[in-house]
Amino acid sequence: MEAFLGGLAVMADPYVLMMVVLGTVLGIFVGALPGISGSTTIALMLPMTIAMGPIPAICFLGAIYCAANFGGSITAILVNAPGDPSASATALEGYKMAEKGQAGLALGMSAVSSAIGGIVSVVVLIFAAPMLARAAYNFGPPEYFALALFGLSMCAAIGGDSAVKNLIAAALGLLIATVGMDLTTGVERFAFGVMELSDGIGFVPVLIGLFAVGEMLDQAARRYGRAQIVFADAARVPGWPEMKKCMRSIWIGSGIGTFIGALPALGATTAALIGYNETRRWSKHKEEFGKGSIEGVAGPEAANNAAVGGSMVPTLALGIPGSATTAIILAGLIVQGIRPGPHLFTEQPTLLYAVFASMLAANVFYLVMGLYMARLFARISLIPPAFLWPTVFVLSVIGAYGPNQSMGDVYVMLVAGLVGFLFRRAGFSPAPLIMGLVLGAMVEETLKQSLIIFGDDVTGFLGRPIALVLFAVTAAGLLWPVVSRLMRRGARAASA
Amino acid sequence: MKPSAAPSRWSNTNRISAALVALVAAAAFAGTFFFDPVPPGLPGLGAVEFPRLICVIILGLALLLALQEPGPPDPDNVAPDRGALMIWACCLLFVPAMALFGMLGAGFLFLVTTGWIWGERRAALLLGVAGASTLVLWLVFVKVFRLTLPGGLLFGT
Repeated sequence: MEAFLGGLAVMADPYVLMMVVLGTVLGIFVGALPGISGSTTIALMLPMTIAMGPIPAICFLGAIYCAANFGGSITAILVNAPGDPSASATALEGYKMAEKGQAGLALGMSAVSSAIGGIVSVVVLIFAAPMLARAAYNFGPPEYFALALFGLSMCAAIGGDSAVKNLIAAALGLLIATVGMDLTTGVERFAFGVMELSDGIGFVPVLIGLFAVGEMLDQAARRYGRAQIVFADAARVPGWPEMKKCMRSIWIGSGIGTFIGALPALGATTAALIGYNETRRWSKHKEEFGKGSIEGVAGPEAANNAAVGGSMVPTLALGIPGSATTAIILAGLIVQGIRPGPHLFTEQPTLLYAVFASMLAANVFYLVMGLYMARLFARISLIPPAFLWPTVFVLSVIGAYGPNQSMGDVYVMLVAGLVGFLFRRAGFSPAPLIMGLVLGAMVEETLKQSLIIFGDDVTGFLGRPIALVLFAVTAAGLLWPVVSRLMRRGARAASA
Repeated sequence: MKPSAAPSRWSNTNRISAALVALVAAAAFAGTFFFDPVPPGLPGLGAVEFPRLICVIILGLALLLALQEPGPPDPDNVAPDRGALMIWACCLLFVPAMALFGMLGAGFLFLVTTGWIWGERRAALLLGVAGASTLVLWLVFVKVFRLTLPGGLLFGT
């Protein structure tokens, strides 16, 4: 309770509050910009946060994350171009509502359901994260190794063309994480005598390169015209009949979003798509779906914002990212010298509760801004790409150079940008690579520590029940698509 | 600003992707033989085992990818036209330009040049936006965050 009050007191600091407001505005702004996602922005902003100090930095990044998911819905509804991938489900019904002249109502419902979903998930975060952290106190290196493997296996389900491509990207991330000096043996690996590489490859230039520069190079190859905006007066606060109609969708979306978000690697986009499907399944007005259903806006919006709080649960309690964006936030914390995990709840509780409080505040801020300034934010999509993307590149160069004042980081960023571009072209998602990069050190360290504990005997894992369960879940998750396909094929053959 | 014509054939081709990935993994695996030897007497895994394990996993996954049928080509994956190639060239030239004009000077030139190639033909607007963006970057990074940006040969330290 004391820590919670301490967290609230931190929010009273005008500087922290300003960072949350700034993060919220920036989050809505970039969320509404098609092409620039919340994760890209957080990667771009990471270098700036180094000068801020840990608490304002994490509050700023958390606010961007919360608000970007909502911002994506504005252009999804008015332009049919989801500003953020997590808003793609919202576009299905939201744009249809806009075409029917109900854009204001769709925007209003989006803001309200997003805020409810976001606040519900932060409340769950406040209670679930400490409980998970307490449980994790019993974890040793074998359990953490199994948990990190589980997190990596979940990468199979995020973005990209296929599970195999996602796993390749995650493994490449693990390989990149081995560059530099091995801490247990002192041997330099893949450094090729280059001094900048002996400390390892920094998160910041890789993140900026993969997300921002990769996207910019891709956008340069397909330079489209600007979006056409649907006329909207302003967002309208939904009345009681509309809220009554959507309450079930909002709760379904909030529950699904929080749960999906809490699973390692799965984030807001998956939550929104599942939220949309489940909303339709449980709706009493199924016939309205596909023609502009207000429940079809409320469900996925509640889900994608609930996933934000959910994904922070494993990130803060275990140090395992709950999504691609939280992997970047995790990298930001590591850059600040903070290693999330169970010990954080005893060592720096004020920081944690400040994060919770800032996320609650961000949800309230974007609700107000969403209701009164949605039309203004929608105009963001009209910014010509000829101004936007070159600025992103210049910002990327400065962002990569800034933290260490090193040209080596700029070169790393350019190479990462090329890799990011090739990834997009070949149907790979950069998100699993980031997961692999962030978890790489943990996977290797815990494996080495486990083997030392077991006296180099791998069968020692058999004596650790929690690790065994996690291994079994990982194996089941990876093999299930293959097994189910074989079963379907067998059933078809039997019926033929 | 018309989008380029045909979807590129080289994208979404699993076998080419798999071959490139396997090449990277094989090169990394070979690279582990050039690591310095681990000091004797240290317990547990050495420096080479983990990277080699990852390389083997990547090779296995690359093989799986090569055996997979590629999905339908992404219609958004258009072949890069001359403009795209010029923008990419500008990105590459940014670093040498930085050595001469400094980071902010190179940034201004980059914004004007790539903005023009991107299709913006209103010169006054382009110069104004580039100037304003450079000014904002200078204010945020140099004045607020007290970052020392390279001045280049022409503009200083």
